[in-house]
Amino acid sequence: MDLCELRKKLDGGDIGAVELTKEYLDRIKRFDGEINSYITVCEAEAIAQAEAAQQVIDKGGSKPMTGIPLSVKDNICTNGVRTTCASRMLEDHIPIYDASAVSRLKNENFVMLGKTNMDEFAMGGSSQTSYFGGPKNPYNTGYVTGGSSGGAAASVAAGLCAAALGSDTGGSVRQPSAFCGVTGLKPTYGTVSRWGLIAFASSLDQIGVCALSAADAGYVLNSICGRDCNDATTSPIPSGGYTSAVGSDISGIRIGVPKEFLDGSTDEVKAAVLEAAEYYRSLGCTVKECSLPSLEYAVSAYYLISSAEAASNLSRFDGIKYGHRSGLGEDYNELIKSSRSEGFGREVKRRIMLGNYALCSGYYDAYYNNARRIRTQIRKEYADIFSECDVILTPTAPSPAYRIGVQENDPVKMYQADICTVTVNIAGLPAISTTCGYSAEGMPIGMSLIGRAFDEKTIIAVCDRFERDHERRECVL
Amino acid sequence: MRYQPVIGLEIHCELLTNSKVFCTCQNEFGGSENTRVCPRCSGMPGTLPLLNQGAVRLAAKAGFATNCTVNGYSSFDRKNYFYPDLPKAYQITQFEHPICTDGHIDVAGGKRIRINRIHIEEDAGKLVHDDYEGVSLADYNRCGVPLIEIVTEPDFRSAEEVQDFVTQIAQRLKYAGVCDARMEQGSLRVDVNISIMPFGSEEFGTRAEIKNLNSVKSIGRAIEYEIQRQSEILDGGGKVVQETRRYNENRDDTKPLRSKEEAHDYRYFPEPDIPPVLLSEEDIEAIRKEMPELPHERSKRYTEEYGLPADDASLLTAQKEFSDFYDEAAASEPEYRMISNLMLGEVSHLLNETGSDITEVKFSPAELAKTAKLAADGTVSKGAAKEIVSIMFKDGGDPRRIAQEHGFIMDTDASGLDEVIDKVLAENADAAEKYKNGNAKLFGFIMGQAIKACGKSANPALIKEALNKKLQ
Ligand SMILES: [Zn+2]
Repeated sequence: MDLCELRKKLDGGDIGAVELTKEYLDRIKRFDGEINSYITVCEAEAIAQAEAAQQVIDKGGSKPMTGIPLSVKDNICTNGVRTTCASRMLEDHIPIYDASAVSRLKNENFVMLGKTNMDEFAMGGSSQTSYFGGPKNPYNTGYVTGGSSGGAAASVAAGLCAAALGSDTGGSVRQPSAFCGVTGLKPTYGTVSRWGLIAFASSLDQIGVCALSAADAGYVLNSICGRDCNDATTSPIPSGGYTSAVGSDISGIRIGVPKEFLDGSTDEVKAAVLEAAEYYRSLGCTVKECSLPSLEYAVSAYYLISSAEAASNLSRFDGIKYGHRSGLGEDYNELIKSSRSEGFGREVKRRIMLGNYALCSGYYDAYYNNARRIRTQIRKEYADIFSECDVILTPTAPSPAYRIGVQENDPVKMYQADICTVTVNIAGLPAISTTCGYSAEGMPIGMSLIGRAFDEKTIIAVCDRFERDHERRECVL
Repeated sequence: MRYQPVIGLEIHCELLTNSKVFCTCQNEFGGSENTRVCPRCSGMPGTLPLLNQGAVRLAAKAGFATNCTVNGYSSFDRKNYFYPDLPKAYQITQFEHPICTDGHIDVAGGKRIRINRIHIEEDAGKLVHDDYEGVSLADYNRCGVPLIEIVTEPDFRSAEEVQDFVTQIAQRLKYAGVCDARMEQGSLRVDVNISIMPFGSEEFGTRAEIKNLNSVKSIGRAIEYEIQRQSEILDGGGKVVQETRRYNENRDDTKPLRSKEEAHDYRYFPEPDIPPVLLSEEDIEAIRKEMPELPHERSKRYTEEYGLPADDASLLTAQKEFSDFYDEAAASEPEYRMISNLMLGEVSHLLNETGSDITEVKFSPAELAKTAKLAADGTVSKGAAKEIVSIMFKDGGDPRRIAQEHGFIMDTDASGLDEVIDKVLAENADAAEKYKNGNAKLFGFIMGQAIKACGKSANPALIKEALNKKLQ
């Protein structure tokens, strides 16, 4: 059932908001011990919110998200509910304010089931760096969920929420959505306020949506988008209406397929994406090969920029004001050192070191400044492609989900796996990932549709069309 | 050996905005600890800075006050370092693209001091060390207080130039409403970079940076001390170490704070949370139009249009309110010189004596102007005018009425004067005789006696005339 339909059923009294929430809470109890998609489940709060939502519905004042149970990634601040970033550093951190995206949903009386698991501080592509233990892929619990919004994607795939808020810095909504066989939408930079999103890389971070369909993702985005005076980087352009083109005729749409993205992908992934391209061609879309020559530098540029910003963003966690404080340290320097050494995990420390290194006065030009130049170049190459195409089709990841434990000790290989997604963040563009096939092992394969800035409407419509004609395999829990 | 000092300044000024630079907390001085703190300025996870546009306008005004170019494009950067008084562990500042560049101020002697840049940044909090309990506590009230930093070129060659520059900066910023420039409260803080080199040399020596200078006087003393200290090192064959030193007012010396070896690499990079500040030509022009007349401009007007001596003009303009008072008085009666004399004489004297401010006096600028007019047109004597000011200062009142009530109106007819003068000359026959015999000095004495005898309404001009006649 999609969210539009769920809305009708809630408003029509066919489904009660409290029952609905209890059903999800019950499923979480039954299945999440294995999946581990939630770090915190808010049972009492969720039921209270559902009761409040029902009252609003009964009075006929419901809004799109009233009574709809969502999960929220644990790097999005929730007033009074601990927000850990899956880190020991914030194990007991309880924010005193709501992220803007959350307060907008609260204004519509949504229900928050809980906070989802992730890579520590969103740094990773498997969610295995979580201090609370990694989540497992609902299609096969021996496999990773992808990341960093692994908990969000898994919670949607396993039916442990109606949809999920995630965050995407270099593919963190799209890639786990691909691995878990759901739809992941990363909006244009500046569409959703970052106020209350605990920053990883400020110039790349964007809150996104994991959902069961493109239409659902657009439905949720309608309620969280828009200019926010608390975040100066939000744009005045976004104004909702993201599902308005759903169901319209997409023939004549020009779809570009950049060859560089397919080169590094597995045969199964390549075949599935090319098959999707054929499908679009059969609908009357123009499909043509295009090129993003700077892709080979994209991963390096992404890791330099994101790690530099992360090193600075994470400096505030010094154990002095909030977060983990070490019992060791005679003076403030020692205290900060030991609090950070104990509070952060390995991957986070690696990024902090990398970022600080890239910003050091002797290396700044060679690393950080070069990365900025590549960023400018990638933006230009995208602009060139969009002068001839409306949508760009790529794989979401070079391979489907892999077995837990396989890539953990090879960070460079892990980083390279982000090649299909990072350019979208570097250029600030919107993209949506959906399932375009399944591997021999039965794991979902994802494709991504990238759009022009602030043109989520088109990629949602194009993605929706594909989903209508391709059935999603339910996962068996 | 005598050396030539080479000095450059970094001046931090707190901006007079209502709220802090990146949040809506009040921007005030004092108060109990951590009472003006919010998630934003305490660096809570997930918060973002929100640029105060008022701070941008004031920074631009500081630029206009110092002949800088106000840039249409400026942007923020992060300066990263750990210190417990800095909650985000980075300071938001303008590194690559400051809001103002390329300014100058001319100091006494006509020398031009170049200003490299003025940029906007946020202040840090304060650490309070409690030695008794053995703990350090952080007060974040000052976190995010808006600052500008004015950076000069190393153009100063003497303490006097520096002192004049700092005095002018403080005056101009106060005039423009940018900063209240209270050095003792730290709202204007000066760091002095100083090195020395042999006279005639072109090559600068190794510099030391002196912090904690909280008055113009301290700046002068610290510079003199530092010149002495560095000279002794060089004379003894040693080398000056590049370091930061702290001036101690009580001991009147400087001591090292931290050396360059421990200096940070601040790892600056563009602040991704704040879009660049774009000011159109119209925006910049609109801010320029809000600029008041600055002290040096006023001073020039006083000398050129009002014919005041330069020293008087600069004394009048030292404080904006004082100068505003003068301007208003001068506008009501064009007795420029007389009003100036009264303000710099009796009024200043009374203000100093009572420790009060020109904004608190009981008479209006128009009343002071009227007093000046009474003196100028000979209705009262200059001495009486001072007394009128003194009476108005105490109780207020209309100057003409005071003059009448106190009998200050000078006699204008000479009838009866002869009689009084004859009496005075008779009583001082000895002095009169000596004067006539050539002791010219005694005229003043006789004149004094005559004025005394005539009482409050004595008209010195008439008395002088009559005396001259009789003593011929
Ligand atoms: Zn604040």
